[in-house]
Amino acid sequence: MKEAVRLKLGNGAVLLLHEDHSNPSIAFRGSVRAGAAYGRPGIAEFTARLLLRGTKRRSAAKISDATEDLAAALAATNGMESVALEGRCTRETLKETLRIFIESLATPAFAPAELEKVRGEVTGDLRAQEDDTRRAATRRLLELVYPPSHPYHADPKGDARSAAKIQAKDARAFHAAHYGAAGMIVAFSGDLETETFRGLVAAAFERLDSGEPPNPVPTPKPSKPANAVIAMPHKSQADFVAGRVALARTHPDYQALNLATILFGRIGLYGRLGQKVRDDLGLAYYSFSSLEARLAGGHCLVSAGVNPKNLAQAVAAIRAEMERLRTEPFSDAEVRDGKTHLIGSLQVTLERNPENAAAIHDIEYYGLGNDYLERYPEIVRGLDPESVRKTGAEYYDPDASSWVASGPVKGVRLSF
Amino acid sequence: METITRTLDNGLTVLLRPMPEAPAVSVWVGYKVGSRNERPGITGATHWVEHMLFKGGGKLKKGDIDSIVGRLGGKFNGFTDTDFTIYFETLPPGDLDTGLMIEAERMRNAAFDPQESEAERGVIISEREGSENSPKYLLSEEMWHLAFHVHPYHWPVVGWKIDLERITRNDLYTYYLQHYAPNNAVLVLAGKFEPEDAMRRVESYFGLFRPETQPPPLAVTEPAQEGERRGEVRRPGTQDHVMIGYHVPALAHADTAPLLVLQAVLGGWRGLSLFGGGFVPRSNRLYRGLVDKKLATDVSAQHRMQADPGLFTIEATVREGVDPAKVETAALEEVEGLRRKPPTKEEMARAARQLRVWHAYDLDGPTAQGLLYTWFEVAASHTLLDDLIDRCQKVTTADVRRVADAYFDETNRTVCTFLAQEGGS
Repeated sequence: MKEAVRLKLGNGAVLLLHEDHSNPSIAFRGSVRAGAAYGRPGIAEFTARLLLRGTKRRSAAKISDATEDLAAALAATNGMESVALEGRCTRETLKETLRIFIESLATPAFAPAELEKVRGEVTGDLRAQEDDTRRAATRRLLELVYPPSHPYHADPKGDARSAAKIQAKDARAFHAAHYGAAGMIVAFSGDLETETFRGLVAAAFERLDSGEPPNPVPTPKPSKPANAVIAMPHKSQADFVAGRVALARTHPDYQALNLATILFGRIGLYGRLGQKVRDDLGLAYYSFSSLEARLAGGHCLVSAGVNPKNLAQAVAAIRAEMERLRTEPFSDAEVRDGKTHLIGSLQVTLERNPENAAAIHDIEYYGLGNDYLERYPEIVRGLDPESVRKTGAEYYDPDASSWVASGPVKGVRLSF
Repeated sequence: METITRTLDNGLTVLLRPMPEAPAVSVWVGYKVGSRNERPGITGATHWVEHMLFKGGGKLKKGDIDSIVGRLGGKFNGFTDTDFTIYFETLPPGDLDTGLMIEAERMRNAAFDPQESEAERGVIISEREGSENSPKYLLSEEMWHLAFHVHPYHWPVVGWKIDLERITRNDLYTYYLQHYAPNNAVLVLAGKFEPEDAMRRVESYFGLFRPETQPPPLAVTEPAQEGERRGEVRRPGTQDHVMIGYHVPALAHADTAPLLVLQAVLGGWRGLSLFGGGFVPRSNRLYRGLVDKKLATDVSAQHRMQADPGLFTIEATVREGVDPAKVETAALEEVEGLRRKPPTKEEMARAARQLRVWHAYDLDGPTAQGLLYTWFEVAASHTLLDDLIDRCQKVTTADVRRVADAYFDETNRTVCTFLAQEGGS
């Protein structure tokens, strides 16, 4: 994939393009730094959900009719740091799709009727999470991993109390403070000529006010490891999650930890974890590791879903695999396989417009340099195997991790 | 883009979708065996066999598929459905042989090591139990169980737990030998390759396999439903859900096109494939009638498009504090209201455009193309995929009204409700 065309507009927005005419469609992925970390509980979630639900000029129904009449699609999804913006259209519908998108970004209505619908959706989603073993365990774990004073501690959706209280004026104020073009990034991929991108697309985004550049989120300090059990006696399967604070995406050790995460519980059918817990012991349908690295910091997790009678054995097996990262670190052959996996998977991942747009967006978002994709194979090849072993052992240390189990766990003796 | 179709002497159907600019090649093999081919006592066998086919055999040792594809940075997986089982690897373009080798070994040489079969029992049961944790899964299982009395769509793809506890390694291996043969499979290549060169490679990997005598086609037909069926699942939970199903014809039936247009009018359209993304359609009758009216927090409609006559379903999550009966009534008003209030010209135009444009989104990339062409070939025919979207463009309001009249009738419907009980959080 060649370097993306990059435009920085006068209002601060950055636009990117990967031109690719192999499919007659355009996808875009973007972000605005208006995530949960920037407001009181729940407000970012409500604002993002209301963004495409009507403008000062057009009702929610008219906005969705106009979008869907074009067979275009638009979405805004709240996250911890930023709101993800995404869309799909064709070259024929690009102009009108952008008109709707920019109108929605610049002048959302926050109509009371839509707010009440969103209140129902958010409340429902929070309740569904409470009844979902995996989501509930992960949410609780993140509360243990990040200190209460840090924005990453709380649920980005807020809680039942915040969902009951948020008013249109709150969303309006949050939008005015955080939805400026400064800090906004939107990446396009697909059937779009550079000339049109520099002309029509840039002109559409130029209409947005600059706003204030986003403040950085403070770096999270790790909490003291803690454990929790969430009893859900009516469920068939138990879930458990272990994890700790890890690194920001821009940290020098990120690449090493990413490779360690892949080797530990992702490559093939979930790496070492999958081989032991699923393949050898047959204890779980899934058992994997994950790394979430954001601008300010991140966390790494180990997750598994198991029959309650196997829970104690699975916890012990996963704990043993975490300890094994110290006693039997990744071999040179494992690291070599991981490196070829990373290089090959980059190529394979970039087969569709949404993934291409997401990749060039992320490169800009994390400041990795426009030539990052070109440099990436060398970055990976240059990784010191020792640093992969060291970060793996450090960040998947069972004693430095918090642990949470959820589900029908009554009577199960757990030794975290 | 043209699909190149070939058939090997042993009956293996090969579909080629060359994409010279693609950064990858996707190798798909679909088998015409799904849970519809099982019998009571071995429900879930198709899905279990799928799991066993990642455990080596022939040139592949246990773990080799994961490590070979993983090392190359490829994507791979397998899916079992009511009508088919599908496997794929998406790889860097130079690694076509790797995908072909894996699929060839999988077709005839799987090991079915007894110890591995036994270890997999726990994994399979764990997968089922994970699904049981979800109210929507429980509701769906109840729906199919109730709507089909005779046809194998009666049981879930993952199988009944009691069968999963008893199925033996020999049950699985016999099932594998019977169904995994070139004359019961389709191989689809999509992405960067040269067609003639690819065919030579396909021939070298699969050409020597012998065809197997296939069991006679499934001769079970679900009798017509003669009255509404109702089911309830009461379990601790935090949200109520409503699901409504109507019997509709198989994918290959001429009414599929009007039913898809009807689906778009009722519940919006987000493409045929798994790659629709997180976009929520709101310009449709169900959203306006249920979510806009604050009865439900989400609602969807789907024609399941199966090899045998299946279901058209409507699913809604009941908003907190709302009586599920009100959601059911509102959904029925919209669905069966189509018979009295057929789609407007604007609704028809929107539906037709969505079906056409989303088809382009659906075909973005080798993996997506491989999935769709394999699915359609094993469930009906790949030519139907291209024809279907064209046929949808010609569907008239009268066609939609006719299929609504034919299928959206009280006597043909099944209604299931998940009623969340105390103790769900």
